[in-house]
Amino acid sequence: MSRFDLREVTVRRDGHLIIDQVTATIAPGRCTALVGPSGAGKSTLLRLFNRLDDPSSGTVSLDGEPLTSLDVLELRRRVGLVGQRPVLVATTVYEELRVGVPKLEREAAAELLTRVGLAVEMVDRPSAGLSGGEAQRVCLARTLAVDPKVLLLDEPTSALDPAAATAVEETLCGLLGNGLTAILVSHSAEQVRRMADDALVLRQGRLVESGAVAAVGYVNGAQA
Amino acid sequence: MSSPAVPEWTGVALSVSLVAVAVLIAWRQRLGLAREVMIAAVRAGVQLFAVGAVLLFLFKHAGLPGGFAWLAVMVAIAGQVAGRRGKGLYHARYVATAAVAVAAAVTLGVLIAFGVIQSAPRVVVPVGGMVVSGAMQATGVTLSRMVAEANGQRAAIEARLSLGLSGAQAFAPHRRELLRTALIPTLDSTKVVGLISLPGAMTGLILAGVSPEVAIRYQIVVMYMLLAAAVMAALAAAELGQRMLFTTAQQLR
Repeated sequence: MSRFDLREVTVRRDGHLIIDQVTATIAPGRCTALVGPSGAGKSTLLRLFNRLDDPSSGTVSLDGEPLTSLDVLELRRRVGLVGQRPVLVATTVYEELRVGVPKLEREAAAELLTRVGLAVEMVDRPSAGLSGGEAQRVCLARTLAVDPKVLLLDEPTSALDPAAATAVEETLCGLLGNGLTAILVSHSAEQVRRMADDALVLRQGRLVESGAVAAVGYVNGAQA
Repeated sequence: MSSPAVPEWTGVALSVSLVAVAVLIAWRQRLGLAREVMIAAVRAGVQLFAVGAVLLFLFKHAGLPGGFAWLAVMVAIAGQVAGRRGKGLYHARYVATAAVAVAAAVTLGVLIAFGVIQSAPRVVVPVGGMVVSGAMQATGVTLSRMVAEANGQRAAIEARLSLGLSGAQAFAPHRRELLRTALIPTLDSTKVVGLISLPGAMTGLILAGVSPEVAIRYQIVVMYMLLAAAVMAALAAAELGQRMLFTTAQQLR
């Protein structure tokens, strides 16, 4: 189980305040949504959890250990990230899955594809020919290949057409639970209600509301 | 050796008429460049005059230590120029200076150690200048491509970082490509040397009265040393530059 604690986390970039003294807990084994208007700092906050960025001040801890005290490469294998747009970096699907695990066997690759709802036969497909939904699911499989205990999901369906978005969301819902901690950035209240257990509401970088999804006004129609 | 075909100072003064032709064309065609042509010509003349005076002093009074000191100045200047091409890269000028210095030191070191060139200032300074210039070109292109790759491929690099790859591993596919791009101009000019125009070292030697058979020996050494210097400079720039792309926490800056 993986629990994050943020203590007075502040992020400044080029003199602008992006995140303003956020103190919160990401409960282990649950899906926590980061919600709020555009520019609220949701994606910036998400990037702190796998140290793609560091806060300007304050601490982010994982199971009581400050992230800065952990080996960063091990941290990123434990905390996987699926971005908004699928970014494929290899020539074939099999090579994509091997990026994080060079010794990945074909059988294991096939299992990963099945887990994300893709046909096993896709393992040798060229990456260039994949549809948006297929590419996003390959990116998810690539992340799962390193066996993360936490999933960071940065608007994982927002760049997809409705059918692909539904397929990817169903895949993600199937993966959540089972002890996996997830942090979901989404601008869709409906998606948050379907996928998340808890929500943190950001507005202009400040945490303005938090709690179980059913109790958070922003997700249930109120303005932040 | 036949008598050198070197112009007198009156000849140099008369060659200013060529600049006048360029200025006249620029003015007649309303290019807005007449003033720039004149400034460029005056600057070139003054700079070369100054360099000539320094080298005269250096060769007469400063010996080999003076020659190496002048080379060090050239390396420092080349580092600043090449570093500007890597604008946006953390510590770009330091990286560029180190890359040029490594390439120059190794290339010249090998040539002097094997006795290919004399360790006299009148040989080390001009030969070293060519090496530094070639290394500077390769370094500048490498750093410029590196910044472009890091900016343009940020999403792909961060996707690899997010899988637990180190900065070096995440950038490796881009490094191969940018090194190839940086070295292609040097490789192309090596392939066609002598076919399109006589290269500079050979031209200078022939004008000074050296026979072509002797001049080509020098030119071959020059071409090989420029090739080596460019490859070493590009590699050093890529290696050092890559370290500057990422923080100690393996974050793309």
